[in-house]
Amino acid sequence: MNKTLTELKDEELIKEFQDSNTIEAYEILVKRYKDPLMNFVYRFVGDRDACTDIVQETMIKFYLNKDSYRSFAKFSTWIYTIAGNLAKNELKRRKRRTIFSISNNDDEKTPQIEDKMFHSPEKIADGEIRNEIIEKALLKVKPVYREVVILRDIQDLSYEEISEITGLATGTVKSRINRGRAQLQKLLKHIYND
Amino acid sequence: MNNKIYNEEEQKQTGMIRDLKKLPKIKAPENFEFNLMTRINNKNFGNAEHGREKFNWLKFLAPSAAVVTAVILFFIFLPSNEQIDNSFTGAQKMIDSQSITGNSNAAGNELMYKQGNMPDAAASKNSQIETRPKAVTPPLNSLRLPFGYSRSVSLDDYIRGGNNSGDMQRGNVVNSGDSETPFDGFFVVEKPDQNTLKKERARIDSLKNAKNVADSLKKIQKLP
Repeated sequence: MNKTLTELKDEELIKEFQDSNTIEAYEILVKRYKDPLMNFVYRFVGDRDACTDIVQETMIKFYLNKDSYRSFAKFSTWIYTIAGNLAKNELKRRKRRTIFSISNNDDEKTPQIEDKMFHSPEKIADGEIRNEIIEKALLKVKPVYREVVILRDIQDLSYEEISEITGLATGTVKSRINRGRAQLQKLLKHIYND
Repeated sequence: MNNKIYNEEEQKQTGMIRDLKKLPKIKAPENFEFNLMTRINNKNFGNAEHGREKFNWLKFLAPSAAVVTAVILFFIFLPSNEQIDNSFTGAQKMIDSQSITGNSNAAGNELMYKQGNMPDAAASKNSQIETRPKAVTPPLNSLRLPFGYSRSVSLDDYIRGGNNSGDMQRGNVVNSGDSETPFDGFFVVEKPDQNTLKKERARIDSLKNAKNVADSLKKIQKLP
């Protein structure tokens, strides 16, 4: 039975879970999506603990609201939408906390990518440091652009899928991706100077 | 056209896009599934259980309604500093002041007359004739009381039942288009206080004495 379930597509698995409340189907879907969602949320929020909580909450929402999924949509876009909304809520909550915080110091909150600019070209060529610089620069891009850039360039989703996840028109998605990339390139001009 | 622009932009950013794709993939912690299933088995759903609350008009309007009610109540029960223009109290004050001043003048003249300090006897007679009526009858007709004098009655007569022309007169007043306030009432004119009279008399007396002394001194100085 389990073997058969693992061979099923996402949409078939969720149907199984909806119809027969098969917990194994749910577990297989969790196994399939926990890592991609972790990657997406981590790149969006930039905090590992918060990211784990958000993905857990996403899975619980999926468990509780399984009947709100409609078979005409792709399961991946549905679960990405839930995770994306929770991640946006987390960012809003953080922003509010920053506003109301008495010891509000932006320098402490924002990643200091400028410091990394002083690395020598040899060091920048080193993959780890380069990745770190890119990660921090990505967190400086506006959230509306960051989300679509992550979905497109890191998660490798199609424009149509991104459009479905974000609820935006495909044209808007394309222009936002473009603006996001431009912002990122501006932040990383010391690496991509040509 | 748009696709061309996007492709050109993408070509410029190829290196960056390639690096973004190469970023290390973040994986869920080892115990992720275990923790998740434990939470589900224990029904420990945390915040995820509470869905978005449905919009409720009552909840939405309750705070604004409370504020509006508070503002209305504030204006209704606001203690105002403005004094209400009560014509009865105003009239009473005028009567009091006029009777006191009028009587004080009259009293002064009377005293002077009795003491024989008046320089000219004829003048004193005239002044007595002129001042006495002023003191006795205060100019009540000049007051604007909120009821018609033509229809006011004497209290004593009213009690005795002597004033029986009520209904007919009322009709006449209405027919003749009298503009006075249609108010049936009566008023009592207060007599001046005896103590106040005494005080005023004493004050005027001392003033007159002082004046006489001054006059006599002048006369002495004029004498060769």
